[in-house]
Amino acid sequence: MTDQEIPYRQAEANVVLRQVGKPLERTDAEGKATGRTRYAGDYTMPGMLHAKVLRSDIASGRLKHLDASKARALPGVVCVLTAQDLPDRLAATDMPGQTGQKRASTDRQILVREIIRHHGEPLALIAAETPAIADKAYDLIEYEIEPMPGVYDTEAALDPGAPIVTEPDNIVGEHKIRKGDTEKGFAEADHIIENTFHTQFIEHAFLEPEVGLAWVDENGVVNIRMSTQVIEHFRFIADALGVPHNKVRILGAMVGGGFGGKEDITVELYLALLAQATRRPVRLAYTREDSFVGHGKRHPFSVSHKTGVTKDGKITALEVKISADSGAYVFLSPYVLLYCAVAAPGPYRIDNVKIDSAAIATNNMYTSAFRGFGAAQACVAYEAQMDEIAKTLGIDRFELRRRNFMRTGDKTATGQTVESAIWADECMTQALEALGEKTAASGPIKIGRGVATYQQSYGRITWFHDTSEAWVGIEVDGTVIVRSGVTDIGAGQASALGQIAAELLGVGLDDVVIYNSDSAVTPLAGTTTATRALYMTGRAVHTASSNLRERLVAFAAQELDARPDEVDLANGQAFVPDDPSKSMSLKDLAARGASEGLERSELAMFRAPFTDPIDQETGQGPVFPDFTYGCHAVEVAVDTETGEVTVLKSVGAHDIGQAINPQAVEGQIEGGALMGQGYALSEELIYQEGKLVSPSFSEYLIPTSMDMPEIKCIILESRSGLGPFGAKGIGEPSLTPVAPAIANAVADAIGTRVFDLPITPEKIVRALRE
Amino acid sequence: MLREFELDMPGNLQETLARLPGGTLLAGGTNLLVDLRARREDAERLIWLGNIDGFRDIKIEDGRVIIGGGTTIGDLLRNPAMAEAAPSLVAAARVFGGQMVRNQATVAGNVCSGSPAADTVPPLLSLDAEVHLTCSTGSRTVPLNDFYTGFKTNQRKHDELVTGLSWAAPGPHTANLFYKLARRKGDAITVVGVAVTVTRDGDRCTEARIALGAVGPTVFRAKDAEAMLTGEPLADDLIDSAARKAMEESSPIDDLRASADYRRHCIHVLTRRLLKQAWEDAA
Ligand SMILES: Cc1cc2nc3c(=O)[nH]c(=O)nc-3n(C[C@H](O)[C@H](O)[C@H](O)COP(=O)(O)OP(=O)(O)OC[C@H]3O[C@@H](n4cnc5c(N)ncnc54)[C@H](O)[C@@H]3O)c2cc1C
Repeated sequence: MTDQEIPYRQAEANVVLRQVGKPLERTDAEGKATGRTRYAGDYTMPGMLHAKVLRSDIASGRLKHLDASKARALPGVVCVLTAQDLPDRLAATDMPGQTGQKRASTDRQILVREIIRHHGEPLALIAAETPAIADKAYDLIEYEIEPMPGVYDTEAALDPGAPIVTEPDNIVGEHKIRKGDTEKGFAEADHIIENTFHTQFIEHAFLEPEVGLAWVDENGVVNIRMSTQVIEHFRFIADALGVPHNKVRILGAMVGGGFGGKEDITVELYLALLAQATRRPVRLAYTREDSFVGHGKRHPFSVSHKTGVTKDGKITALEVKISADSGAYVFLSPYVLLYCAVAAPGPYRIDNVKIDSAAIATNNMYTSAFRGFGAAQACVAYEAQMDEIAKTLGIDRFELRRRNFMRTGDKTATGQTVESAIWADECMTQALEALGEKTAASGPIKIGRGVATYQQSYGRITWFHDTSEAWVGIEVDGTVIVRSGVTDIGAGQASALGQIAAELLGVGLDDVVIYNSDSAVTPLAGTTTATRALYMTGRAVHTASSNLRERLVAFAAQELDARPDEVDLANGQAFVPDDPSKSMSLKDLAARGASEGLERSELAMFRAPFTDPIDQETGQGPVFPDFTYGCHAVEVAVDTETGEVTVLKSVGAHDIGQAINPQAVEGQIEGGALMGQGYALSEELIYQEGKLVSPSFSEYLIPTSMDMPEIKCIILESRSGLGPFGAKGIGEPSLTPVAPAIANAVADAIGTRVFDLPITPEKIVRALRE
Repeated sequence: MLREFELDMPGNLQETLARLPGGTLLAGGTNLLVDLRARREDAERLIWLGNIDGFRDIKIEDGRVIIGGGTTIGDLLRNPAMAEAAPSLVAAARVFGGQMVRNQATVAGNVCSGSPAADTVPPLLSLDAEVHLTCSTGSRTVPLNDFYTGFKTNQRKHDELVTGLSWAAPGPHTANLFYKLARRKGDAITVVGVAVTVTRDGDRCTEARIALGAVGPTVFRAKDAEAMLTGEPLADDLIDSAARKAMEESSPIDDLRASADYRRHCIHVLTRRLLKQAWEDAA
């Protein structure tokens, strides 16, 4: 399938893997299946208070007055905090970076002091003896909001005289990429194709709304047990409380889904403030409605492509203009925008590229991280554009892609040489093949097919100087313990670490226990975001386990009277494969080692590639550690009279380097297929004058099992990634190509295109009428 | 959060009727509890209907189908006789909510909540069903066609319990169909619901009923369209004209799910399709 002399970096060839690469039952499976797993909301404490957040129900206004005296007088109400009760501090909205990077002006007010910038902005925090009392107190807080003119779309936000949401001009981020000479490129083109694509606000819709429990312990440390992707927000929480960083500890629990929506600070700040104020344990559990208005959304993007192409399908120039609605606070918008800009050319070799992008503040809900992080929106545009180009040229859509695909060894538009395998073509070929025979059309029901391929980074921006730590130890009975701060948000992040340690230490996954997600006790591993957890922490566990293995092997060699290079560890034994008489159990080995003072644990740090920021004017330079490539292919049936779409077949084919647990990888591909289908066809948060008018799952339509076809997962393994054993990342990439593949299939079926997601039946009917 | 309420759990029909004045009936709770939580409803005393003997029974006697006031959507699907006794209702039950809702939701609750998007109502109207009401002083029967008086209002008096619904099982040469158009295939609120009944005698249609959901303040029958079909052979162009007439009889609104314009378009398409299919099936 691929060239045998491997021009890309590749993990060691011909290693026998005993644990890695097997669909082992994950360490978290049984607890979840039996309901024994404890999520953050399952923890309680004696004397615990119940919290509630009062929010603004309009998007732009001035808080004229707020009076909590009646609420405070209600028996059972212990505390009501308003902005007047807090010191004049702000809350950080940036990423926690190991190097302490933080941009100016990204912070937000904790509670509204005067100006309200978005629907749902918090006005007051309540802590009461029971949830019912907290509810009553909520109704007793009196306040008056004077509405102010707001701005609700990105174009209007740039008008002279537009209300300023973020100083000085509502522009919260801009990125440029310049490569080659686009003027020359367009001059060489036979056709120039221009289209604009729009994406919508969407909701993470994790199963578990935000929840946590905080208490101040006997050392004066504020402890917060939280559902979060990022325990390392403890530093920002400490800053907001005005206490040293070592006085805040965040403990995770198994997380019921994140998708980027638990990447920013959510309830932990409110919990910490209330626990600090009351000195009692406080629990805050968002309702679904709270969750809908309480956390940031996926950015709506407008992406315009102007592509120059020769008549035989070679792309000669690409100009892209990108604008994103960042809502009322900056949060991660500048980074999301950068991801979109870098991803905008797709997995294609284009010599002349010019990209301009801006993230713009409005009084809509703030937007921030969401699985795919700007790169998903980029793919919605570039893959639709490829089909539009093919249509104009009358070339087969898949052939057009093949003529332009990046190949292994190529550079990205920012001039970064990709050192791993680029198997976009191989993935597309396999995905298309898996679609099988085409379903027959009948009457008004037309059948369409579409693919989308992609290039998506895994790992954080390389000038963040990302690191991750893990500790691995072997007990005197030969069992293994892994400790790492990594949060497990449902993808099996913890279990995968166990599998890696088991592989290297010669034990089974059952012999490993993993302690994770405690900012004070487990070595800090960074965030579970950016498709980095397995890559980064997997490498840290790999290094720690390998170092430990080396020591164990050396010690076993002495005990077995052999050379270290003759000794292997597997199945709980240290042994010399060529001499059956020489073997001992790991248990004996560990016990012997302990009595001889052998160091039985190892702490390791993995450092991602470190670079300097890219050039501001040209965008040239490395941006990410590496990229995943893949393809999603679908077949749809469209009722051309009613516009109803049925997804008949859905196939994801991805080169993920090396599957640590193939079953977990399939879980990601299946979840991505569902989430992407909702993004393409039905999901949309509707804001009217900045107010969310669809804060409910009866209006916000995630595909149900009735809407989903069986999903085929194809895993390709180039073993060329930067992760453990050559793994790449799949968490975000599995989602990215799904929506554009569906959009392309619908366009194929109906012969015209809907340029705005979601592609609703009504938009299809309208497009067909035009 | 759900507001506090009293829960009354009478042991039988008589007790239920006695407690009814001033209380609010709680069947599956899939409308009522949602509305209470959203503060759209402020009932203070709920009367649970789970203890009434035989309240979920389904009977077919002399070609008449009678379902109890407690019959759930799931009960319809589990009863093998229903496929013939109420084909459109079974079709609606299949696409009603999700499994958990189907286990809990009752037909009477659906009828009484009276949403124009209530999925059992177009089928029941297309079957010309009747509603049986009882209070402590007596019983009466109201044709479903006369039951609704406006948006979410109906003829039921506050002290009346719906004890059941009944209709004549479709005879030979009768086809009874339903289609739910929604934004997704499971657990979705209907955008347009259409139910039709066509009875055929040779090459003539002897009776036609067309009921439309989610395109007016109540579910209603498109009587002008029906009249165009009665006594006629249903040629394609007549079917198309009748479907167009049904569209004209509707008064849909714009909402988050769809525009009025799109709804009108779909009434035309779906009514045409269902009539054509029914005409063929009834042969
Ligand atoms: C997730 C979800 C999905 C849904 N999907 C659908 C769907 O696909 N299609 C659809 O049409 N609806 C749907 N619904 C709405 C709801 O499930 C139905 O309307 C259901 O049939 C209501 O029945 P119930 O037994 O739950 O009624 P309840 O909520 O218990 O009662 C509803 C009303 O009827 C009154 N009532 C109940 N029984 C009687 C009686 N015997 N006599 C007099 N009055 C009575 C009650 O007092 C109340 O006012 C859905 C609801 C949810 C929460």
